[in-house]
Amino acid sequence: MKVLLLSKNLSDGEAVSEYVKNLAEYLVSENNEVTIVSFDDESYYSIDDRVNVNRFPLNFEGDNLYNWSMMMNNEMKGQVVEETDVEEFDIIHAHDWTTVPGAVSLSKQFETAFVLTIHSTENERGFGSEESEVISELEWQGTFEADKVIVNRDETRNSVLFDLDAPEEKLEMIDPLKDGWQQIILNNYRNLLDNKEQVKN
Amino acid sequence: MRPLFVTWEYPPYKAGGIAAHCEDLATTMADQGHEPVILTYGDEQEVEYRDGVEIHRVPASNSASNTLSWAMNLGHQMEKKAIELAKKQDFDLVHAHDWMAVPGATGIKKTLDLPMVFTVHSTQKGRDGIDSDYQRTIHNLEWYGTYEAEEVITVGREFSEEVKHNYELPKQKVNYIPNGVNLEKFDNHSENLNKDKYALDWEQIVLFVGRMYPQKGPGHLIEAMPEIIDNNPEAKFVMCGSGATEHYKQIAKSQVGEKVHFPGYVPDKELLSLMKRAEMTVAPSVYEPFGIVPLEAAACETPTVGSYTGGMKDTIIHEYTGLHTYPADPGSIAHEIERALNDPGWSDWMGQNARERVEDNFRWEQISAWTTGIYKEALK
Repeated sequence: MKVLLLSKNLSDGEAVSEYVKNLAEYLVSENNEVTIVSFDDESYYSIDDRVNVNRFPLNFEGDNLYNWSMMMNNEMKGQVVEETDVEEFDIIHAHDWTTVPGAVSLSKQFETAFVLTIHSTENERGFGSEESEVISELEWQGTFEADKVIVNRDETRNSVLFDLDAPEEKLEMIDPLKDGWQQIILNNYRNLLDNKEQVKN
Repeated sequence: MRPLFVTWEYPPYKAGGIAAHCEDLATTMADQGHEPVILTYGDEQEVEYRDGVEIHRVPASNSASNTLSWAMNLGHQMEKKAIELAKKQDFDLVHAHDWMAVPGATGIKKTLDLPMVFTVHSTQKGRDGIDSDYQRTIHNLEWYGTYEAEEVITVGREFSEEVKHNYELPKQKVNYIPNGVNLEKFDNHSENLNKDKYALDWEQIVLFVGRMYPQKGPGHLIEAMPEIIDNNPEAKFVMCGSGATEHYKQIAKSQVGEKVHFPGYVPDKELLSLMKRAEMTVAPSVYEPFGIVPLEAAACETPTVGSYTGGMKDTIIHEYTGLHTYPADPGSIAHEIERALNDPGWSDWMGQNARERVEDNFRWEQISAWTTGIYKEALK
């Protein structure tokens, strides 16, 4: 299986990055091909050599994280289209709203199954900025467009269900602090692809 | 060719000149056998076919805190629509118009792997500066658009230099193509003005058309009014346009009372009638990359008194199709308006010359052909 992981950052010690790295390393150990595409903030990261990593710079400075992320996603799409065998990916797995626009476009364009892990929602983070509403809308769009939505804990699950109004049947809580969580995600990928195959047939 | 235009405004929605520009360019391209598709904003998803042009409207979030975030959101919605459309029929390239189209157009370029052409109609630096984070982000977006585009088009000759300088662009990437005028629209319009709404029978209309913002210079014209009225009591200033209208109205009324009239927003047809009836239009802009008003006035055989700045250096020939003033100089504005008012025969002659010059140099057929020539360069 070929998996594309999209993450805003890839840096040792940062929570989402550690999740992405850990998942990627498990997937390659199970003989899957994994590519991580993320913005290059020049921070240090270490990862299994078998994981393809593509970090890209961004020649754009935004006045807030939302505007910056939207343009970062454009650059991310360019990197994926130009630098990877994008048509061969079986799964696009995005992480948080900061990679939702890219994942939505790429999954639509290349008709690839789309998995989204929401590590926390804007509601959980306090909904405290002027951009909170548009950020929350992106989270909603991510849950709407994704074939599978994963959360790490009950609080996020509740927020995704009640704040974002996501359908329960595509939502799954997979605790990354428990052993075997990566395998559960891989099984989810397999189920998605099986379902997709059934739809095709 | 099948270009995908990305523009936040397209008629009937329009706030500035980009909507009319895109409509005239796309319609002419369609007449010339191309298949332009428009991607623009709308209150809801809809598709329309008009004058050979396919127009797709997509809504954007109502939750954005400012225009910049709104443009980002709109861009993403546009990109999703472009992906859907491209599955049915490929586009040759994406053509963005001004900074608000940059998020959408660059996203489309990246995802669909298309060449991009970017028309810069004005710059943030020229409009109102790059002092705040917000303004700098718009400037950055403009830079990003010019960086990502294979070819950049600017609407003014002098403005080309500004664009090259602002965004540090190689000169071979920047192309000057002026705006055009749809002469048919002016020729098919029969002037039917109820002049009483604007001026008394014996008064002569001096017309300002533009948004009421400092960039367009209405304040400088207002400063010039008392002197003009003292020497030419037959002058009547009609100030058309939206924006900070009340602010300028208060100042103007305190200066010349009933000799100035602010009708607010004036529908297109009424505006054409006003342009045809006016003695002259006045364009006192301090910053004007192109400035369509002198050309529209010219199409009506009306001369323009305009600042010697930006595009008006090209669109007005001093003492031949209109008169140049020093920018932001009420004394100079008063002097030139009075010269035109005092010699109506000369004004008429300048109006006729202006019309002939527009017919020879600013036709959309020509501009469309130049633009598709740039497309071919972008596709190489």
